[in-house]
Amino acid sequence: MDLTFNESESAFRDELRAWIKANHPGEEPAGEDEGYAFRRDWQRQLYEAGWAAVHWPTEFGGRDATLVEAAIFNEELARARAPFPANVLGLLLAGPTLMIWGTDEQKQRYLDPIMSGEEIWCQGFSEPEAGSDLASLKSKAVRDGDDWLVTGQKVWTSGAQYSKWCMFVARTDFDAPKHKGLTYFILDMEQEGVEVRPLRQITGDPEFNELFLENARIPDANVVGGEGNGWTVALTTLMNERAGLAFGLQVGMKVALDELTEELAASGKLDDPMIADELGALHIKCEILRLTAYRGLTATMKYGQPGPEGSLTKWMWSQGNQELMQFATKALGPQALAGGSSWGRAMLRSRGNSIEGGTTEVLKNIIAERVLGLPRKK
Amino acid sequence: MNFDFTEDQHEIKRTARELLAKRSGLEQIREAAEGDAYDESLFTELRELGWTGIAIDEQYGGAGLGVVELMILCEELGYALAASPFLANALGGLMIEHAGSDEQRAKWLPGIASGEATATVAFASGGSSEVVPDADGAAVIALIEGDEATLVARADADVEPVSTIDPTRRYARVSASGGEPLPGDVAGALARAEVALSAEMVGIAQRTQEMAIEYAKERKQFDTPIGAFQAVSHRCAQMLFDTEGARSATYFGGWAADADQSQLALAAAIAKAAASEAALSVTASSIQVHGGIGFTWEADVHWFFKRAQLDAAMLGGTGKQRARVTRLTADSLATAGGA
Ligand SMILES: Cc1cc2nc3c(=O)[nH]c(=O)nc-3n(C[C@H](O)[C@H](O)[C@H](O)COP(=O)(O)OP(=O)(O)OC[C@H]3O[C@@H](n4cnc5c(N)ncnc54)[C@H](O)[C@@H]3O)c2cc1C
Repeated sequence: MDLTFNESESAFRDELRAWIKANHPGEEPAGEDEGYAFRRDWQRQLYEAGWAAVHWPTEFGGRDATLVEAAIFNEELARARAPFPANVLGLLLAGPTLMIWGTDEQKQRYLDPIMSGEEIWCQGFSEPEAGSDLASLKSKAVRDGDDWLVTGQKVWTSGAQYSKWCMFVARTDFDAPKHKGLTYFILDMEQEGVEVRPLRQITGDPEFNELFLENARIPDANVVGGEGNGWTVALTTLMNERAGLAFGLQVGMKVALDELTEELAASGKLDDPMIADELGALHIKCEILRLTAYRGLTATMKYGQPGPEGSLTKWMWSQGNQELMQFATKALGPQALAGGSSWGRAMLRSRGNSIEGGTTEVLKNIIAERVLGLPRKK
Repeated sequence: MNFDFTEDQHEIKRTARELLAKRSGLEQIREAAEGDAYDESLFTELRELGWTGIAIDEQYGGAGLGVVELMILCEELGYALAASPFLANALGGLMIEHAGSDEQRAKWLPGIASGEATATVAFASGGSSEVVPDADGAAVIALIEGDEATLVARADADVEPVSTIDPTRRYARVSASGGEPLPGDVAGALARAEVALSAEMVGIAQRTQEMAIEYAKERKQFDTPIGAFQAVSHRCAQMLFDTEGARSATYFGGWAADADQSQLALAAAIAKAAASEAALSVTASSIQVHGGIGFTWEADVHWFFKRAQLDAAMLGGTGKQRARVTRLTADSLATAGGA
């Protein structure tokens, strides 16, 4: 075991730290659209300095960073309270999926604008009738010459209002078993047949949307991974979703927890043993998340895949973050729920953590069946 | 950054697992628990293999390896629930090695390393402690009071065996007046002991998790293996969550003890809290998954549940550790903010 950074990892971190310090864009402005534009500018800045996609191979414009360096990148960004890049779904989901399944033309065409944030991506998987049971989705694509015509509805599509492209899964074969009849497409959002309607979240912000598709057109060249192979390709996207974010989120939680600790200390509330006890429990959970994420990383580097601990970090984070935010608003008192406090908003947003990217119940099913080998209910 | 054991450490783990499966199976635990006596030959074998001296300096007859290697053995002994004075001796050894004077080390460590004159440790108040593991057979007892610790020779202490709910280990009431103070880094020594103790609890949680999963695959109700019911399978997923979290924290504590003592105090408090909570919840949950059988004396899961109760209470329970975590974190934030 060696839980320190080696020379090249330290050098990477120091260089990045210095760069963030010199280029930090400051506080994100309020408002969904203003915040978005701000994060898009920030991504452009990262891109121009070569930091936008450190974990990508150099041939696609990345730095070929190791998994540890990619973790350091996310940790340092969060530690400096710098914003997430705007095109987070493109960087973490679409890019890696295209690198594995895309044609050479697709890689050439799409990867660079993902990195620069010039073209934003969204993820059109969930439908009104297909959430946890994603493979039952009904959006339909039929051939029309060299194109496909798509009709159907998607929901909870984050960032669709800003997106040029959508990772879109539709049914192309209605006779095949449900996992077999799906195809993964790159859908152009800027066309007649695509309508985006904002949905307000419990925070009041319209972060996600409904998509309505009426004969939207997709050229055959935009099929990813082959006709009928959509489920397998979608799983690649989902695996990246669950693994990629852990480090940034974990440090985000740590930063919030430290801020809370300082606020509670300043107001003398840490002398209350009940508060000190709950706060201690949260610091323990946060540290366990960090360490478990690093264990998963080591296992991935050494054995090609994480061990049993790898399936736990999303669950650990969502539960820990929800508990943290609920505790914060409880411990700080009603002013944390009033007007200007960011805690109230953060607490509301945290309720989505155990739903987005796969619900906790579904994660437990996956752990029970795939990690523990328990039987599946017939 | 490499959060994995070395090949040698993996080898220690494998060897320990195999040996204990043969020498300390569930029948042997039952025999020891019901007969109220250890199988002396087991401890003799562990001594002869050099386990007792694994983390003790070579000049005192030990193997000179680290807390990480000791932690690996403790985890496996917890997994097997081995009935022996190994853990108490190891914890006492850590106290003397890291907080003792040169004379104290020279006097006690050789016996601890060879296992011929064992040690133990406990929290005490006014020179007495109600529940001290393996004190009766020990040669020397470290009693910790607040920030200080005293070393008492068995011969100078009143030691009276007590029965607890955990018949897999022997405990005693100890009272002593006098003794010699341990002049060194008591907190650092205690933190190492907490890590080793946490490792035993990780082993306990791992084993009872496996017992539950195995049972959930076999036992059928409503024509269905019970493990297919989400109330059961999600309980099992929670066991993995708790066990792996405790393991992450404990392994980090072991690493900090050997490689970065500036992180040890916090890491040990986190490990002890996480491992205690995991051992308590996983063993209890495993009884539940076993249903009525799990509540019988005949099933073996209760031995683990009982040991977990005593371990979790040893050297300061979760409440104390959480308070420590909060204090250490708030202090370091204040220092960083003030600097
Ligand atoms: C903030 C946010 C952003 C999102 N962004 C996107 C996005 O960009 N793109 C996208 O495609 N999707 C997105 N989603 C959708 C998300 O992936 C789904 O909400 C999620 O997969 C659950 O599906 P559902 O909402 O249909 O709930 P359902 O699947 O209907 O689940 C309802 C409840 O039933 C439980 N349940 C369902 N099946 C089982 C089962 N087999 N066992 C036990 N319990 C079960 C669930 O855990 C949940 O508690 C987002 C969601 C949120 C909250």
